[in-house]
Amino acid sequence: MHNIWLIAKREYTERIRTKGFIIATVLIPTLMGGGIFAATALATHSKTASHIAIVTTQPQPATDLKHELESGKDTTMTVDIVPPAPGINATLDRQMENKQLDGYLVIHQGPSSSQQATYDFTPRSSADIATSSAVKEGLHDVVAREYLAQRGASASDIDAFMHPVEMNIVGKGGKKGDSRASFLVAYILFFLMYMVVLMYGMNVARSIIEEKTSRIFEVLLATIKPSELLAGKIIGVGAVGLTQVGVWMIAAAALAARAGAMSGVTISFTQTIFFIVYFVLGYALYSSVAAALGAMTNSEQELQQLNMFLMMPLFFCMLMLGPLISNSNSTLSRIVSQIPFCAPLLMNFRISLSMPQPWEIALSIALILVTIFAVLWVSSRIYRVGILMYGKKPNLPEILRWLKYS
Amino acid sequence: MPIVELQNIRKVYDTKVAVEGLTLTIEPGTMFGLLGPNGSGKTSSIRMMIGMTVPDSGSVRLFDKPFARNLLHRVGYLPEERGLYKKMKVLDQLIFLGQLHGLEEATARRRSLAWCERMEITEAIEKKTEELSKGMQQKIQFIAALLHEPDLIIMDEPFSGLDPVNAELLMDTLVALRGEGKAILFSTHRMDQVEKLCDSIALISRGRLLLSGSMREIKSKYPRNRLQVVFTGDDTFLRHAGIVEFKNYSGIAEIQLHSESEAQTILAEAIANGTHINRFEVMEPTLEEIFIENVRASFGDAEAGGRVDA
Repeated sequence: MHNIWLIAKREYTERIRTKGFIIATVLIPTLMGGGIFAATALATHSKTASHIAIVTTQPQPATDLKHELESGKDTTMTVDIVPPAPGINATLDRQMENKQLDGYLVIHQGPSSSQQATYDFTPRSSADIATSSAVKEGLHDVVAREYLAQRGASASDIDAFMHPVEMNIVGKGGKKGDSRASFLVAYILFFLMYMVVLMYGMNVARSIIEEKTSRIFEVLLATIKPSELLAGKIIGVGAVGLTQVGVWMIAAAALAARAGAMSGVTISFTQTIFFIVYFVLGYALYSSVAAALGAMTNSEQELQQLNMFLMMPLFFCMLMLGPLISNSNSTLSRIVSQIPFCAPLLMNFRISLSMPQPWEIALSIALILVTIFAVLWVSSRIYRVGILMYGKKPNLPEILRWLKYS
Repeated sequence: MPIVELQNIRKVYDTKVAVEGLTLTIEPGTMFGLLGPNGSGKTSSIRMMIGMTVPDSGSVRLFDKPFARNLLHRVGYLPEERGLYKKMKVLDQLIFLGQLHGLEEATARRRSLAWCERMEITEAIEKKTEELSKGMQQKIQFIAALLHEPDLIIMDEPFSGLDPVNAELLMDTLVALRGEGKAILFSTHRMDQVEKLCDSIALISRGRLLLSGSMREIKSKYPRNRLQVVFTGDDTFLRHAGIVEFKNYSGIAEIQLHSESEAQTILAEAIANGTHINRFEVMEPTLEEIFIENVRASFGDAEAGGRVDA
């Protein structure tokens, strides 16, 4: 145990001191925080502020529409009402080319009032969906009001009728929630774990290769067992990963305290606990695989060729996000979230969305633990032989034979 | 009490036999030379000695006990492939390696500083390993192997890559350690060093032991049939019937005799011929000659040329 502790401690202190670690630890929360602030800032200022013209013969409903678009809930547009005249379209087109105008709406009144009018909107850029949809919504609102008014509804009745419905998402405990925010949290946790597990798994492999190329192994192995070296390395590198995630989470919590109210993103205590549990398990699993990969190879380049073994299960998890989101309790979701290589990411994702049955969580953890032990058994054998092999890259039959060496 | 006892150990990797039936004993207070051409099984034998690999059959005993990992705290090992953490500071590195050998941090620190002074590399203590010259790195590794005051010191090619001044410093240190009663095993290709330093040797080739024993014993098995003559003038004595073969490097002749007794008659003949003799020496074969002869024989003469690397 003492040796494992010494190896882990060295691994930890040497890594914590590197510039790369400090930069990543500080820079990523800064960027994330900046990103969230920018996104919320943009979201609050994203009211469409286009300048359009309405071509119509009648003042109604154009003035109502103008009012709606200029001082509506989501829009602060500038609206000019112009009477139709020969060549008006050409004039407006020219104005659009000069960027004085973002679009124009032509209202063709039907021959009689009973007939529906048609509306032609010409935007400056067909990609400007925000303006088009704002105009469409405004029109819908105005036409509905007009219709109700014609039917003799009073202004207060119309207001009451047009009042938008507000629906609150209420969690099981009766707490108010926001389904978009909980999706966001699930996504953030998923990608955080994905990134950190992959990054630190590769770090274990890299650190093994580094010791292999610097040949310090021989000195270490003259006093300690390969399994102790492997365990110390996985613990040490993993502790660095946890430290980094810890720093990020504290930064996120601090950020959430300031900006959380704005973005509506909150990470609950349960989510944090499960995240840590599944992160530790997932990391242990993937880093044991990475250790075997590191022991088999002699250089970073060779490792690059093999790292698809790490990427593939993770990539598969990403593919499974779709089915999980559409129904997180379907049979497919239940099955894929039990696969040990996916469980850390997918079970945690399901927990963030809606709490699965306790036995499902217990089973997934048990399965991961069993797999970790199996992988560690294989890895430590490959590791024990592989680290002393230099030069030639081993092929599969050779690696299988390594498992038999005592 | 022997420090190391290998009893008939054997190791096979797939189809390649690395070590076959190796038996050897190292006594305390001796300098033991493990010799052999490249790929002869020296490193494999050393690895089995320190439990890095386990022999397929045979037994390893250290300090008169069956091999156990806790005995490794009494062994210092300098591997052939030198390795240190490149980014770590020298002192941190030495302390870490000392701790791995079971030392307390304070003891490791104190001894590291003392050794750095003894090895004349005090100025390197605060530097990172990658900033140091190769020779300096080697000295650090040398110190790392000795920090925990091991009773058995195993050094694979300890002097390779060192300049003569530093090689001398290391040699003197090893001799001093032998004086303290430590057993030292080293492997090398440099036969002159072995001749100067070692009390006993073992010569292995293709995984098998060819010879072993004390230097005296081994040399006494070979006849003193080498003659070196430094002369001027007439060289007809070189055609004496007692000479097997000779090489004449313009006045320095290296001669191989049928038997030691021929030397005197050759000297007499040379003087009778009027040859001026500056030096006349009857020599025992050098270790290098013994090495080459035995290794050649082990490979079979035909393929010896390319494969022997003495």
